[in-house]
Amino acid sequence: MDAHLDLEKLGREAEGAIAATKEPEDLERIRRHYLGRRGVLAGLTARLPQIDAPERPEYGQRLNALRDRLIQAIDDKEASLRLRATSTRLDAEKIDVTLPGRRRRLGRRHILGRTLQEVQDIFLGMGFEIVEGPEVESEEFNFERLNMPRDHPARDAQDSFYITDDLLLRTQSTAVDARIMIGRPPPMRVLTTGRCYRRDASDPTHMPIFHQVDGFMVGERITMADLKGVLAAFARQFFGPATATKFVPSYFPFTEPSAETLVSFRGTWMELGGCGMFHPRVLEVAGLDPERYSAFAFGWGVERPAMVRYGIPDLRLFWENDLRFLGQF
Amino acid sequence: MKVLLSWLRDYVDIPSSVDGLAERFEMLGLGVEGLDRFADDAVFDLELPANRGDLMSLVGVAREVAASLRGSVRSPIAAAGGVPRLDAPTAGEAAQGVSPVSGPASVEVHDPELCPRYTATMVLDVTVGPSPQWMAHRLDASGIRSINSVVDVTNYVMLELGQPLHAFDYDRLGGRRVIVRRAHDGERLVTLDGIERDLSPQTLVIADSVRAVGVAGVIGGADSEIGSATSRVLLEAAAFAPASIRRTSKRLGVRTESSARFERGIDIAGVPAAAARAAGLLREVAGGRVLPDVVDVYPHPVPPRTLDLRWTRVARLLGVDIPMSDGEVILVSLGFTVARTDGVLRVGVPSHRRDVEREEDLIEDVARHYGYEHIPEAMPVERTATGTRAPVLVTEEAARSALIRAGLTEVLTVSITDPESLDVLRLPAAHPWRQAVRLKNPLVGEQTQMRTTLLPGLLETARTNISRRVHDVQVFELGRVFLPRDGRVAEPRRLGILMTGSITDGTWNSPAESLAVTFYHLKGVAEALVAELRVAGAVFDAGQAPWLHPGRAAVLRVAGDSIGLLGELHPDIAVAFDVPAATYVAEFDLDRLLAESTLAPQYRPLPRYPAVRRDLAVVVDEQIPAQAVADAIAGAGRPLLESVELFDVYTGAQIPSGRRSLAYALTFRSPDRTLSAGDVDVVIAAIRAALERDLQAQVRD
Repeated sequence: MDAHLDLEKLGREAEGAIAATKEPEDLERIRRHYLGRRGVLAGLTARLPQIDAPERPEYGQRLNALRDRLIQAIDDKEASLRLRATSTRLDAEKIDVTLPGRRRRLGRRHILGRTLQEVQDIFLGMGFEIVEGPEVESEEFNFERLNMPRDHPARDAQDSFYITDDLLLRTQSTAVDARIMIGRPPPMRVLTTGRCYRRDASDPTHMPIFHQVDGFMVGERITMADLKGVLAAFARQFFGPATATKFVPSYFPFTEPSAETLVSFRGTWMELGGCGMFHPRVLEVAGLDPERYSAFAFGWGVERPAMVRYGIPDLRLFWENDLRFLGQF
Repeated sequence: MKVLLSWLRDYVDIPSSVDGLAERFEMLGLGVEGLDRFADDAVFDLELPANRGDLMSLVGVAREVAASLRGSVRSPIAAAGGVPRLDAPTAGEAAQGVSPVSGPASVEVHDPELCPRYTATMVLDVTVGPSPQWMAHRLDASGIRSINSVVDVTNYVMLELGQPLHAFDYDRLGGRRVIVRRAHDGERLVTLDGIERDLSPQTLVIADSVRAVGVAGVIGGADSEIGSATSRVLLEAAAFAPASIRRTSKRLGVRTESSARFERGIDIAGVPAAAARAAGLLREVAGGRVLPDVVDVYPHPVPPRTLDLRWTRVARLLGVDIPMSDGEVILVSLGFTVARTDGVLRVGVPSHRRDVEREEDLIEDVARHYGYEHIPEAMPVERTATGTRAPVLVTEEAARSALIRAGLTEVLTVSITDPESLDVLRLPAAHPWRQAVRLKNPLVGEQTQMRTTLLPGLLETARTNISRRVHDVQVFELGRVFLPRDGRVAEPRRLGILMTGSITDGTWNSPAESLAVTFYHLKGVAEALVAELRVAGAVFDAGQAPWLHPGRAAVLRVAGDSIGLLGELHPDIAVAFDVPAATYVAEFDLDRLLAESTLAPQYRPLPRYPAVRRDLAVVVDEQIPAQAVADAIAGAGRPLLESVELFDVYTGAQIPSGRRSLAYALTFRSPDRTLSAGDVDVVIAAIRAALERDLQAQVRD
């Protein structure tokens, strides 16, 4: 039974050594010492024939059991050593996550450009065709075809920059409407946006240069009720679903009847812009029979709605291009 | 126009409160620009439509209010018992030995086109003094200074009826005559405001037998002004051609209450009634006698206008059915006469509504008084259409998006600019950008022309930001420039880019020089743009421009044409503009870039076989552009060479002076097999041979 006792002692000895190991290399050495090809257990196995025959099977079983125990103990120890090593390394790799991030600088649109795009998208959704026109216009398209002959008092409100006696910087993008209507068969629904110019000195609410949105729709059944419906739909999309609109009479030479559109925003009525049914003379000069066709038209500046919507106090901020301003939107 | 509520009540009953009236004005299209409230009164400042001269009067405003209540106005003329009684001349006048006025004044109208109607009424024995308190108060509340009883009466009647009037001191009119004529060449007149003015033959004047005594319809002359000694008054009530008044008023830079009314058009049929009303008031407040023989020169009376209003057109245009009887009531209360026939209203237009010319004008009046708020909101019933964008807007948006993804911020700069901005760019006198479109009437002294380039605007943007300590400026603008072309103006699209400062945020512990924008960052943006737009055959080459550093400038060519320049700002310009020397700018012909772009790319199969990478160092003369080396490698490496990527540029130890080493990572791949080392060796040998032969290069791999 000495041999059995020896095995038991050997097992406790080995397990003690395994448990005391701190480094993976030491564990490997222990593995080789006990389990290697020339290790302790291998030696005992080699001496198996010297064991008395009756005791041999049991001894053999116990030897195998011991081997399995040691293999298991070493594997467990190895896993725990690896775990500790990983955790030590990860501890050492700790960084201060509160240091500032390295940011790729993001580019962005100009806030007015973005506003124009939003307006375009809303009308695109209502089936409008988005077009562009020239900024330098002739008297004919900027005024005359819009029922504003020379000496018309309404021209006072649109003091113009002239290039020649006939060419000027357009004072309203409605000039584009006059161009587009010629020679096209109705129905049409068209929207244009772009720069316009008037000789207004710069102040917080005026600039000699500004952006306008202008749209119109021609058809055989177009009415002022449609105009109200389309602009109200626009206002609800642009300013929010609860937005109310109000139409009050106004005067523009190129529309009859004419109206001003007001929009409720944060508890006040804001003037959006002018609109109305195209004056029959405007249709006639475009070659459209006003007996058969009618058209609504609308136009407004883009700066003011953007100022109201974003709480921007001064129009000139749009043109200064201070990146701290542009970066806010 | 200022409207005193208590005065307005003389002509119409107003049941509503001040707020209610303000709301009523708004819904009629008379914008309330200001409202001053007093204990028992109020003054409205109304913004009137430019085509409604008739509303520039209390009676006109009263008519709108009355119609909105479906009522009627009390006319001051009717209230005074019709046209006032005219006094006969007294026999005593001749006996007193003063110049007798026994008949009508002598009036000649030489230009009836510019003065279609002229009336002159003589009022004798007036006592010029202060006006009665009620009249002075009403004028004052309406924004007109009280001057004396005679002048005040003319202003009072103008405010009341909309007819401007002028009172002459009859005894200061040379020859006691009135001649309405165009000014003589070189004629001058000292006007009521004390300014001596040059008149031109386009100016219509009121003259006596010697000289001009007033600019017709705009401003009177100082010489014939009513003074305390005036006793005989010639009262002028006339109609002048609106366009002529407008032009004269603009040319002289004088806008008066009178010119404002004449240019909108006054009630030509109502002229004598206004004259009589004024004469009657003169008698009341200045104690005069009115002579019965009123001169009225009106050679071509304007016939009354009649229009047919087809009632179906109302619903057709407004989108709402209004009962015809409602329309009838509205029109009648506005002063129209209406005869009803089968579905059509035959409408007589009153003389004060010269703006009503067509059926649509009547429909607008019906709509206004019916109430725009009662027109429903509908959606158009039309053939369905898909929304579309003009193709150029689509490609422009693709370019904008690429630049934004490259980290640039879009700016908008003003397109009216000053010629000096081109001097700053060091442009020679003959440079095409100097051929700018000039404004005939600039607003600000130096802002006299349209931009021909986006660069000055971008430099200004950089300067503004840097002066506010925002140093990292990487911006672009997509915009039009303006160039004269055959008497017209071309508006080509350009893309401008400016980059300076550092390229990332949060740069702690990073060496500043590795973050600073360089020429190659700008070029990288340009490369990314042409790649995103898939512009085929875009090539960068050394270029030259007066505003760029001569050794750091490049040209972008597409199909051999230069379509833009990029580079480091010339150091002199950087100094002049107060921007850092390391400022990089580019301007491209956007029309051309967009025209060359392809937004619908075709799928290319992803590689199925692995690539082989080899590095190659090429030592060449440093005058040889890197592009030439890359092109030579690419040319000799076809077809297995997939990409050529530069990773190192080196001069210094181990490299002979005057030469440099360019190190490339080459990637080889075949679409149909895995390449062997031997395959690649063959290609490398060919590349090496080409480089040695064509560029006298030494090659190490």
